[in-house]
Amino acid sequence: MSGADWLSYSLQDFVMFGPQVFLRLFVRINQDLWPWQVLAVVAAIGIPVLLFRQGRNARCLAVGLMAVAWAVSGYGFLVGYFGPINWPAAWFGWAFVAQGVLLAAAMLFGGVHGGALSFGRFVALWLIVACGLPWLVLAESGQWQALALFGIAPGTTAAAGALIVAVITGPWRWLYLPLLVLWSLFSAAMFWVLQTSWLLVTPVATLLLVGAGFWLSPRPARSLD
Amino acid sequence: MAGWFSRRQFLINAGLAGLALKSPSLFANTSGTPSLSPIMRQIPGANESIPAIGMGTWITFNVGGDEQLVAQRTRVLKTFFDLGGTVVDGSPMYGTAADVIGEALDSLGAHDRIFAATKIWTGDESETRQEAARSGRRWGLDQFDLLQVHNLLGWQGHLETLKQMKANGDVRYIGITTSHGRRHREFAQIMEREPLDFVQLTYNVLDREVENRLLPLARERRIGVIVNRPFQGGSLFRRFQSEPLPDWVGEVGVSNWAEFFLKFIISHPAVTCAIPATSKVEHMKENMGALYGALPDADQRQRMADYVRSL
Repeated sequence: MSGADWLSYSLQDFVMFGPQVFLRLFVRINQDLWPWQVLAVVAAIGIPVLLFRQGRNARCLAVGLMAVAWAVSGYGFLVGYFGPINWPAAWFGWAFVAQGVLLAAAMLFGGVHGGALSFGRFVALWLIVACGLPWLVLAESGQWQALALFGIAPGTTAAAGALIVAVITGPWRWLYLPLLVLWSLFSAAMFWVLQTSWLLVTPVATLLLVGAGFWLSPRPARSLD
Repeated sequence: MAGWFSRRQFLINAGLAGLALKSPSLFANTSGTPSLSPIMRQIPGANESIPAIGMGTWITFNVGGDEQLVAQRTRVLKTFFDLGGTVVDGSPMYGTAADVIGEALDSLGAHDRIFAATKIWTGDESETRQEAARSGRRWGLDQFDLLQVHNLLGWQGHLETLKQMKANGDVRYIGITTSHGRRHREFAQIMEREPLDFVQLTYNVLDREVENRLLPLARERRIGVIVNRPFQGGSLFRRFQSEPLPDWVGEVGVSNWAEFFLKFIISHPAVTCAIPATSKVEHMKENMGALYGALPDADQRQRMADYVRSL
């Protein structure tokens, strides 16, 4: 195809499903997983608790839970439910699994620092993500079964995962960032085309939370104290 | 296909007769033409006619494994068949749409009521037969009525194989497609030199460029024309649905915007069939209303286009 042909395509041409079908994905996965959502809730509570416990092991365990959340939401939601109606979603699903593996590797090979974090700011942002973002799909669909829980829904998981930037060190952090950015851009474009305006909040929040992750990360000077 | 047409026609007529008893207004005769006869169009160069309104499946039938939505789309397809439709168009590009059509056909036991059209959509020009076979398995069909090269992707190799498949009786008709007005010059060149049965292109009351070259060429070359994006991807409704229909459209058997847009298209003498897509039974009924009653003549078509432009 020529360049002019490509220019004749719009974003809409690449979204081959309707909003009803997309929103039903959340209902379907929640119905199929019930009552295992409780594990996702426990993980969402457990991660900030573990991050602020004394000792390096607790923090590594928190990062390990985050790694599992990436992998489960990627393989479960994106590969299993979203992929059949949208091929790029399956690719993102495998990228989410790889992101989980990356975090696990960071946990095992010294990519998680033990510096002090600002408890109040981190927990406030975490609560906004874990307790606030899940309701956006519900607001869009009008169905309470469509709750987009952390560890199950990829958007909420990625937004929470952005905050984990605060505890990853050096090169691990730079390997961790591209998926956060690409997923946010991809999902924002998709929600724009689907005209699901409530859902646009999640990718925008994810990008802002990446910045917050850097902001919350201990400065070298403070780490040395 | 022996006995295929008569059985299909019987089923269509039986369905229409039942529907007419329940909803006489749907088939209100406004023109003096026989109200229960669907508008059929002969496939150029073939001794076969197809209904002038078909069904597309882009976006609307890509519902994945959602059983609730599969059941709902099955009702849409049933309504389509009950109201006289036969032509269903898909593509391997449309995600799970092919699987959903196959499941719906199984549920309805309607494999013999369909004029099945799909596309070859792969850049590998040696994969034509394999892709057609894969699509056939997904639709639950032994063979398609029409195979088309999707958006001219790898058209040289695919078209050669499709010609062989037609000669061997593996497919009845072959064609090429485009949409959104893309690559019309190359499209016309292929129409001029290849033995095509059908072309598929975009045409609607606003996108009328094909009237200049491709539609006259199709008539000249005796090629059937399937029209995609008859509602411009739904944007015609978003733009005009809040506007009143002109008073005089009752003369041409139009009672809603769907009929207005579709009758404008199928009244062009080169057009064989338009393939609107919908996910709603009510919208399917509106679309299929365009399959009955009078059609606008050339002057009335011009008035329709002028009216839309004036809004």
